[in-house]
Amino acid sequence: MTAVIEARGLKKSYGSTTAVDGVSFAIQPGRIVGLIGPNGAGKTTLFKAILGLTQFDGDLRILGRDPRSERNELMQDVCFIADVAVLPRWLRVSQALDFVEGVHPRFDRSRATDFLRKTDIKLASRVRELSKGMVTQLHLALILAIDARLLVLDEPTLGLDLLFRRQFYDTLLNDYFDKQRTIVLTTHQVEEIENLLTDVIFIHRGHVVLDSAVDALPDRYVQLTVTAEHAAQARQLNPFYEREVFGRVVMFFEGRTAAQLSTVTNGLGEMRTPSIADLFVAKMQGVA
Amino acid sequence: MSTPDTNLSADTPAAVAPHVSAATRQSVLRTMIVLVRRELWEHRALWITPLIIGGLLVLTAFPIHFGNVSFGAHAQEFANNRLGLFTLILWGQTLPQYLVMVIVLSFYLMDCLYQERKDRSILFWKSLPVSDADTVISKLLVALVVVPLGVYLTAMVCGVLFQTIWAVRTAVGSLPNIVVAWDTVAWLKVQGLMLYGLLVSMLWYAPMAAFLLLVSAWARRNVFLWASLPPVIAIIIERAAFGTRYVQHLLEYRSWSGIWNALLTEPITPESGHGRVVSLAELFDNTSMSRAFLNIDLWLGLAVAAALVFAAIRIRRYRDDT
Repeated sequence: MTAVIEARGLKKSYGSTTAVDGVSFAIQPGRIVGLIGPNGAGKTTLFKAILGLTQFDGDLRILGRDPRSERNELMQDVCFIADVAVLPRWLRVSQALDFVEGVHPRFDRSRATDFLRKTDIKLASRVRELSKGMVTQLHLALILAIDARLLVLDEPTLGLDLLFRRQFYDTLLNDYFDKQRTIVLTTHQVEEIENLLTDVIFIHRGHVVLDSAVDALPDRYVQLTVTAEHAAQARQLNPFYEREVFGRVVMFFEGRTAAQLSTVTNGLGEMRTPSIADLFVAKMQGVA
Repeated sequence: MSTPDTNLSADTPAAVAPHVSAATRQSVLRTMIVLVRRELWEHRALWITPLIIGGLLVLTAFPIHFGNVSFGAHAQEFANNRLGLFTLILWGQTLPQYLVMVIVLSFYLMDCLYQERKDRSILFWKSLPVSDADTVISKLLVALVVVPLGVYLTAMVCGVLFQTIWAVRTAVGSLPNIVVAWDTVAWLKVQGLMLYGLLVSMLWYAPMAAFLLLVSAWARRNVFLWASLPPVIAIIIERAAFGTRYVQHLLEYRSWSGIWNALLTEPITPESGHGRVVSLAELFDNTSMSRAFLNIDLWLGLAVAAALVFAAIRIRRYRDDT
């Protein structure tokens, strides 16, 4: 199966700062991929490269096309929400529907109006009259009514309250996602999307530090929680990161399964697969 | 009669193929219409202003009052000039429209590629399958074709309304018979002359419109200053450094004197009418329509406009600072 996104040696510098430093990865169709990294890690640059909004060095193929030279063709199949605040304030809801319907051959207006009917958004309202949450709902209604093959979301829930965030991801998963579609998204609220993702890519200072299917994480990472007196003994096993929680020490191990580790720990402490959020912190601190 | 099976195999390719291509291919014309509508949604001044001005001009048909003026010895002279006055009134109805249009369009052109960057909505527009070329060209189309034609039609309707009001006022005796002289042929000639003038103006001023569009796409802030200061500075520097005025003359020529040269066979002065108000209908008869299109400066200007528009498209496509 051909990859939806395939990057090889992707590099982008702004002056003397390197935002993305020779990154390679591939994203297969039908996946929901979390692109996770701290501020300034290069996520937004990567997104801009994927969407043909910036120039870069190296090789990048989106649905088999080069976003630098084939952006116009690509946008038939790719959709993105760059930020919740980008709908123009003068636009009316009905005009937004008219416009997208007019320019996008894959826009299904009835889908968008069905979605809007479930909200408090009125067709005659202008964007400037809507609350921030409503603007996001409108944007989402427009984007999710487009039959695109790749959806890219850069911090789509920034500045929204928990209810809106939850609703956003529920809609994404239940009403939109299917095996023909691919979603790539970033967010700082990693905990909220843990159960949503099929794949994670961690990036840090322009490098990919982890690229894995969520299903495969238990085969590679183990978290061991031990009491303080067992810490020195457990440290012999070479964790790549540890932290203290309520007097107990949580250690993170890479490259072995819980079963492998348990043969040497002999019930030293509790073992489990780390959450994506914990693994993210461990990886970021571990490589720093 | 064919069985359902053969029916299916015969009909399916023909029935499905056009459906698929219609669903996935978007006609350029349809996209352009949607993009132009979008401009009129955002920049409502483009169509509200001509309507307001047209309305005000029509209203001036009411207060103008000639009372019981006796034309006396001048009555005959006045009567000779009726046609000239008629066409002059039509022209007077139109002129304010075009003057205001130039101002409104200048601000529109400076704003249209700047505002979308300022409010970051460019990221929304660019998330849809509309090329940068289509977007930029739609804005130029609005400024050089859609709005001028709209203003032309508005002025035409308002002129007719004005004349109708005067005709009614004459009929009820509130205006002397002598000031009204509807002449359909003269009216058509004036409309034709103005449409021709409009067409030549669109082409003549295309490089200036394209320049404003380019500044709008390029400037980080202060679009107005970036659009207006460089020509002024260029003039000052040229005079200080070389003591010449080529830039000034070029700008004067492009913004004012050149278009009259392109449009008219001979310059119109009050003397050319030999003491008479020259009827614009006469001007229509004496205008050689091909003249403007044989003017090399018109085509040079269009080449410059094309280059500037191309630059604006490239900037919108490859700019990376949002």
